[in-house]
Amino acid sequence: MASVSVSHLIIFIASMMIAASVAGVFTESVGRLSNAVSDQGLDVSGEVRTDVEIISDSGSSAVYDSEGDGNITLHVKNTGSQDLAADPGQIDLFVDGTFVSDFGVTLLADGASWRPGTVVRVEISQPGLSAGDHRVKLIVNGDEEVFEFRV
Amino acid sequence: MGFSVSGSAAIIFVAAFIGFGMFYTATANSFERVTNAREASADQALEEANTGIRLDSVVYNSTADSLNVTATNTGSTSLEVSEVDVLANNEYLTGYRTAVEGDTATDLWLPAERLVVNATGITTDPGRVKVVTGPGVSEIDTTTEVS
Repeated sequence: MASVSVSHLIIFIASMMIAASVAGVFTESVGRLSNAVSDQGLDVSGEVRTDVEIISDSGSSAVYDSEGDGNITLHVKNTGSQDLAADPGQIDLFVDGTFVSDFGVTLLADGASWRPGTVVRVEISQPGLSAGDHRVKLIVNGDEEVFEFRV
Repeated sequence: MGFSVSGSAAIIFVAAFIGFGMFYTATANSFERVTNAREASADQALEEANTGIRLDSVVYNSTADSLNVTATNTGSTSLEVSEVDVLANNEYLTGYRTAVEGDTATDLWLPAERLVVNATGITTDPGRVKVVTGPGVSEIDTTTEVS
């Protein structure tokens, strides 16, 4: 009879261990999934809250500095409801369909971040831009803006 | 055998309970965050649709090297003077004086009120002036030069 009790004890311990490991794997997986859902929610709300507007005067002859250093100067206003970082890492730029990485961003307001209602100046180095129509596409946190001008 | 089954079931049940709690918290928080963001975005779209301005006069004084812009809030939203941007021939102006119906201290530009912007130290006629409001609604006009 003692052997039956021992067998039962062994089966009980084994089943407890298996149940505990299954429970551990389950809770860990659900925890990871919850973190992913949380991150996704944060990203989506950030994208919805982000809105920028290119406020430069497209009809102005000063958009492109053809006689100076060949810079396209754009002014971009944060019209959304969340702070953005005023650095080139936050902005993706295409000039006439070509990805551009050589540009500078200057915050035209006090403070360190690009708050709603404030403006940044984006200077894109494009020496030797030909005469004619050109377009700049600016993407900030999923929000896309297109600016067209004439040289 | 009986204890093994009920004990394992209890452990699995507790784990499922904890897992559901974590997942529910995460999804509910995310849903609420995205809903709030959408509401804020809709509010801004409405504010933008209700915003309108008109440039009454844009005068460049070549003797005083100053630029005077008079604009009227033709929309139905109250705007903030500190969020108004002025571009003179694509140059962003700063340090200019503002007055709403003669009041230089106020930051509110209410519907049907006139805003006067006075920028000095502008040595050449900019030709074009663009005024941009906080919600992003803007108006452009050419300058009238006086001396």
